[in-house]
Amino acid sequence: MIGTIIANILRLLVLVLVQALILDHLDVANGYLVPYLYVLFLLMLPFELPAWALLLIGAGTGALMDFFSSTPGMHMSACTLMMFARIRILKLLAPREGYEFGMLPTVPRMGFTWFLTYAGLLILVHHLWLFFVEVYRFDGFFSTFFRAVSSATFTLVLCLLAQFLTARPERGRA
Amino acid sequence: MRDLFRLLYRIRDTLLFLVLMIVAMVLLHGGNAHHRAQAISSSNALVGTIFTWRKGITDYANLKEVNRRLAEENAEWRSRHESAYTPVEDLFVRINDTIHRQQYSYIAAKVVNSTWHKQKNFLTLDKGATSGVQEEMGVIGPNGIVGVVREVSPHFASVSSILSPSMRTSVRIRRTGHIGLLYWDTNDAATASVIDIAKHARILVGDTVETRGGDATFPAGIPVGVVETLSAEPGSNYHEIQIRLTEDMSQSGFVYVVKDLQRAERDTLQQAHSAP
Repeated sequence: MIGTIIANILRLLVLVLVQALILDHLDVANGYLVPYLYVLFLLMLPFELPAWALLLIGAGTGALMDFFSSTPGMHMSACTLMMFARIRILKLLAPREGYEFGMLPTVPRMGFTWFLTYAGLLILVHHLWLFFVEVYRFDGFFSTFFRAVSSATFTLVLCLLAQFLTARPERGRA
Repeated sequence: MRDLFRLLYRIRDTLLFLVLMIVAMVLLHGGNAHHRAQAISSSNALVGTIFTWRKGITDYANLKEVNRRLAEENAEWRSRHESAYTPVEDLFVRINDTIHRQQYSYIAAKVVNSTWHKQKNFLTLDKGATSGVQEEMGVIGPNGIVGVVREVSPHFASVSSILSPSMRTSVRIRRTGHIGLLYWDTNDAATASVIDIAKHARILVGDTVETRGGDATFPAGIPVGVVETLSAEPGSNYHEIQIRLTEDMSQSGFVYVVKDLQRAERDTLQQAHSAP
């Protein structure tokens, strides 16, 4: 239990620093590929967390990112929305026998297709909200839309890569 | 009453979601820009320090480029220095010029963090209130304007880049003197638009766009960009001008914060004027 908490806090710190110090400075394809890898932390939170905790953690993580990018409320609202969507999407994607205690929403535990659907949907929700709030207008709708979708794809690829690079061999229940 | 509580209990997660979203949206709208600035900003001491560490590492990567730019700038200043001029006539004696008065002074600052590829861009400078940086001061680079100081902490300042759709800077065409507004709607770090220049103005591709001055943010005549494309929408009274920015926003290393020494005087006058 304590191990899980420490692992998650470390993951949060590493991802937020990687985001703020490296990824925020990437200039790929002129703003069409802006990855927000820190959402991986929110994606990998354990299944057992109650909804209120998920929402609060989401808002907190977003606020932390906002500190780094001087965008008050932007990441916070996107992450809160994403966590709200996570509660719904996890219900939709639940296996027939439900989630087992101690399971983590990761590729090795849940399988590639499951994770792709789960992460893809949530990242899309997060990025669409974030990119539209960032410009705060609807003219140039398609430009913003494509930016959000292409960046979401990029983030998803990075999330999968990160999972493959850090995945430990399957060893019983954690 | 009990049913009400039961209902509230059942939808408690949705309620929490709504409350958090409302908090975020209030922050986003920034009810009060000053409070917001204090609470969340990259000029925040901790975040500023972390970005300074990062800059300490990445600085080595572009030392060559920074050196070249500094040397170029040095050469520019040297060529304006007194020693670069030979007296035309020895009969004349230099006297202290009291007709010209210094209006602007510059505070050199290092950019510790910057974005240029997002839809709204910011820079963080390593100089803050203790160095005399204040909100609403203009920021210029060696080749042109960069942005306006938005938030200040004792040792850092957060700057709204000209690459933000909400920034409007008063500019003019150097050759003709026509006045317009710089507006970033191109989503491209190298270009921007100039709006509100009427069609009768004879603008040419290649014209230099410079700051207009007079708004106590930028001195007049600081280069902004060069007209790249020029088109006229039928039925519109204004030119559609796209310019190439002279300052490479992805390369900002050292910048200057513009301090208008007459700002206080101007502000008091304008306030006195607008007061009922």
